[in-house]
Amino acid sequence: MAEPAGPFVRLRRQPGALAGLALLGLVLLPALAAPWLPLADPALTAPARRMLPALTGGHWLGTDQLGRDLLARLLWGARASLLVAVLATLVAALTGALIGLLAGFFGRLADVLLMRGIDVLMAFPYLLLALAIVAALGPGLGHAMLAIAVANVPFFARAVRGAVLEIRHQDYIAAARLGGHRGPAIIVAEVLPNLLPTLLLLMTTTLGWMVLETAGLSFLGLGAQPPDADLGSMLGEGREFLTTYPRVAILPGLLILLLVTGINLFGDSLRDLLDPRSPDRIPDQTQDRRLDRHPRPCPAAQCARPAEAVSGASAAPGLASEAPSAAALLQVQDLVLSLTGQSVPLVEGVSFTLERGERVGMVGESGSGKTLTALALLHLQPASMRLDGRRWFAGQELGGLSAAALRDLRNRRIAYIPQDPGAALDPLFRIGVQLAATIRAHPAPADAPPVRVRAARLLAQVGLGDDTQLVRRFPHALSGGQCQRVAIAMALAHDPELLIADEATTALDVRVQAGILDLLGDLSGDGRRALLCVSHDLAVIARLCQRVLVMYAGRVVEDGPLAQVLHTPAHPYTAALLACSPELGRPDKPLPVIPGQPPTAAEARPGAVAGGCRFAPRCRHTQPDCRTDEPALIEVAPGHRVRCRYPL
Amino acid sequence: MSGYLVRRLLLLPPVLLGVALVVFTVMSLVPGDPALAILGPYATPERLAALRSELGLDQPWLLRFLGWLGGLARGDLGHSVALERPVLALVLERLGPTLLLAGSALLLGTLLGLAAGLTAARHHNRPLDRWVTLGILLGISVPAFWLGLALILIFAVWLGWLPASGMGSVWGTSGALDLARHLVLPASSLALVAGGVIGRLGRGAAIEVLAAPALQMARARGIAEYRLLLVHGLRGVLARLAPVIGLQAGFLLGGAVYIETIFQWPGLGRLLVDAIAARDLLLVQGGVLVLATAYVLVNLVTDLLQHVLDPRTGGR
Repeated sequence: MAEPAGPFVRLRRQPGALAGLALLGLVLLPALAAPWLPLADPALTAPARRMLPALTGGHWLGTDQLGRDLLARLLWGARASLLVAVLATLVAALTGALIGLLAGFFGRLADVLLMRGIDVLMAFPYLLLALAIVAALGPGLGHAMLAIAVANVPFFARAVRGAVLEIRHQDYIAAARLGGHRGPAIIVAEVLPNLLPTLLLLMTTTLGWMVLETAGLSFLGLGAQPPDADLGSMLGEGREFLTTYPRVAILPGLLILLLVTGINLFGDSLRDLLDPRSPDRIPDQTQDRRLDRHPRPCPAAQCARPAEAVSGASAAPGLASEAPSAAALLQVQDLVLSLTGQSVPLVEGVSFTLERGERVGMVGESGSGKTLTALALLHLQPASMRLDGRRWFAGQELGGLSAAALRDLRNRRIAYIPQDPGAALDPLFRIGVQLAATIRAHPAPADAPPVRVRAARLLAQVGLGDDTQLVRRFPHALSGGQCQRVAIAMALAHDPELLIADEATTALDVRVQAGILDLLGDLSGDGRRALLCVSHDLAVIARLCQRVLVMYAGRVVEDGPLAQVLHTPAHPYTAALLACSPELGRPDKPLPVIPGQPPTAAEARPGAVAGGCRFAPRCRHTQPDCRTDEPALIEVAPGHRVRCRYPL
Repeated sequence: MSGYLVRRLLLLPPVLLGVALVVFTVMSLVPGDPALAILGPYATPERLAALRSELGLDQPWLLRFLGWLGGLARGDLGHSVALERPVLALVLERLGPTLLLAGSALLLGTLLGLAAGLTAARHHNRPLDRWVTLGILLGISVPAFWLGLALILIFAVWLGWLPASGMGSVWGTSGALDLARHLVLPASSLALVAGGVIGRLGRGAAIEVLAAPALQMARARGIAEYRLLLVHGLRGVLARLAPVIGLQAGFLLGGAVYIETIFQWPGLGRLLVDAIAARDLLLVQGGVLVLATAYVLVNLVTDLLQHVLDPRTGGR
């Protein structure tokens, strides 16, 4: 992430904030400076000089229906509008904050009484409330200000109460209470300072509304009374002349629009800056974008490997021997995944082959890049990531496929079972609807039974055949195991050639886990369907797979037949991983830990690892040259490769 | 669902009572002698005395409120001084056109807002997102009454395509097409603003919904992009935004006051403005009460809508 910068430095980097400030400045500065500018008297009427066009008789924007200088009136009107809006915001914010503070901090009866009152006010359209108050008090700018402030008190009270409740549950408040401080003292010393940024933000984002509402009341003749004027009343009075002299009505409104747009732009940028939950902090969703951008040329200085072209004709020298073999179902060659804008990849140089019907496990600590690699096989890596390297499925290069061709592949030929069974299903749709949509996503063979029958068969296949009501349920009404079985049923809908199970049992309890493992074994045991089983748990892989890939810090460090890897691991990391797997029936066995931590993405900056073996800092067998050059994958036995210069 | 419905319906009377209390309290803010304020300086002492006893000004505040509530229960909102007719009849005959205007604006604004929000989220952080976000920003920043004037100027005065006013009676004989032609400009002025607010929150909601793992997994199952966007995305966004759409109904019922004034729409909003100008306080009181009640009912409907759209809210 970006290095920490002061809020003002970060504010300067927001184009929205700059545009907002510029717009505000354009309106605010002349309005604030109006008393000192060489302007005509805004109230000076001159019936003989009414409705003069712009740039005549010394009037920049001409005159209005009473011969008053339009520019002067606009600037003085903007002053009045702003003043009223700022005052209304202050009154509403302070009153609302006081109510919210009392309700949020003292809770119980105070909370119930105050918030019920606020609820009733919220049950009121706020414009109407303001209108009713002005109707009762009588027209006038002061009354309008008061009415708008009152109508907005509930908004502030609610927001402040929420913020106070959040602050109240923080540890430092408990600490202050333990320290013997009483309510009011805590409010002043601890709650208020923490509340202030929230309140300022709320006020900034509300100010725009306040300007609009003030203008609205004045437009109806309930705000500023002649000869005083704000932008709203100018607009209201100019309305009569809309068809003949539109300028008189249109200009004040345009000024309101500019002012409010500026305030809102600035407020939005401020919110983005201060609020960690702002929607723009959410990373871009993954979606099919045009794929021919890949691979991009990589900066030569930082990228040892030449960029490969999608065409396949220009494969890097030395890798030509790994051209797609006809027998392989899936072949991955030098897969690289990196965050856009970062030179050191999260996953690098991952190469492996999957034969038809083969069951391969991929094991590694969390953060080792397993899931990213698995998702990349479906071209579903997060959109913030760049994917390089080549993948062939059944002899077809995936890198060059269009979005439509990729969609055709997904779940029909390559199916994916995700880690979190709850996340696999949309909570808003019934199981049956989602299963049917999955079945309909690809064209059915001519002799296929109706969707309803196929859905029932799939559910029966994963052991959910007994519950006929299941399809009518929503995902939240299912247990984790049931959700995972539904996810597996969906993955089987089109009889895929490759099934990717990504930590498919991790989120489940042990008994359910065993059932799902048996199911996965049954589904892939006949040799017709290949299985790529991603797990951090060697026991799971030992139960399901024939071959195992060990990943560490975004690299495949060992790749070999299951028995060989388990009994004679060649990489020190694999050996360490095996040593810390608990063994059933040996509760007394000490569980060693691997000292140190895997490198994080932040540590993977240039220089941090310095091109050496990623495991070197934690390895017990490190030699000096381990820290300087990254070892290549070497074959220690037929079909058993290891990325270590000094294999065990 | 039925349990939730019953609970919400049970909550309705206290909320409506609260609304009535607020209306009554606000109207008691009138400075000085309300009877004098209502009848004006030229009223005879006899009329003033009669109105004072009709309003119960000689009674304590609580008794006056209870008496007013009793009248409400009988459908008696008092008598309009300026128009010399029962308030309830006046308000009810103007309610229909206002609901038609606010309803069409809400529908149009919701469609606009959802389309803008989903489009922006789908193109998150790309040029189209920035343009749509700019449009949304203008939508929430523009004064609705100014937009109405600008639309009149462009489409009625300059282009002459649509009428600016002249809707005599909404349920008149001139037919649905004429009604629609008169509805376009006022409804659009309100809808563009409401669409801005809905679009602003809709964009945020859509960014979250489209980034949800469930959607990514649906994509992994080969579900087509249009289905992800228009079925999963739209429903997810609607389920989150239903309460916001309800709140917008409040803006529209209030905003109708300006728009009806500008477009000479024969609705409750214009009646209110005229009543305020004439200090016809009982008519203001009745009009505000009816509009606020309509708002409470719309919010009931949108809450129920959210409940239907998101099955999980039942368990919350």
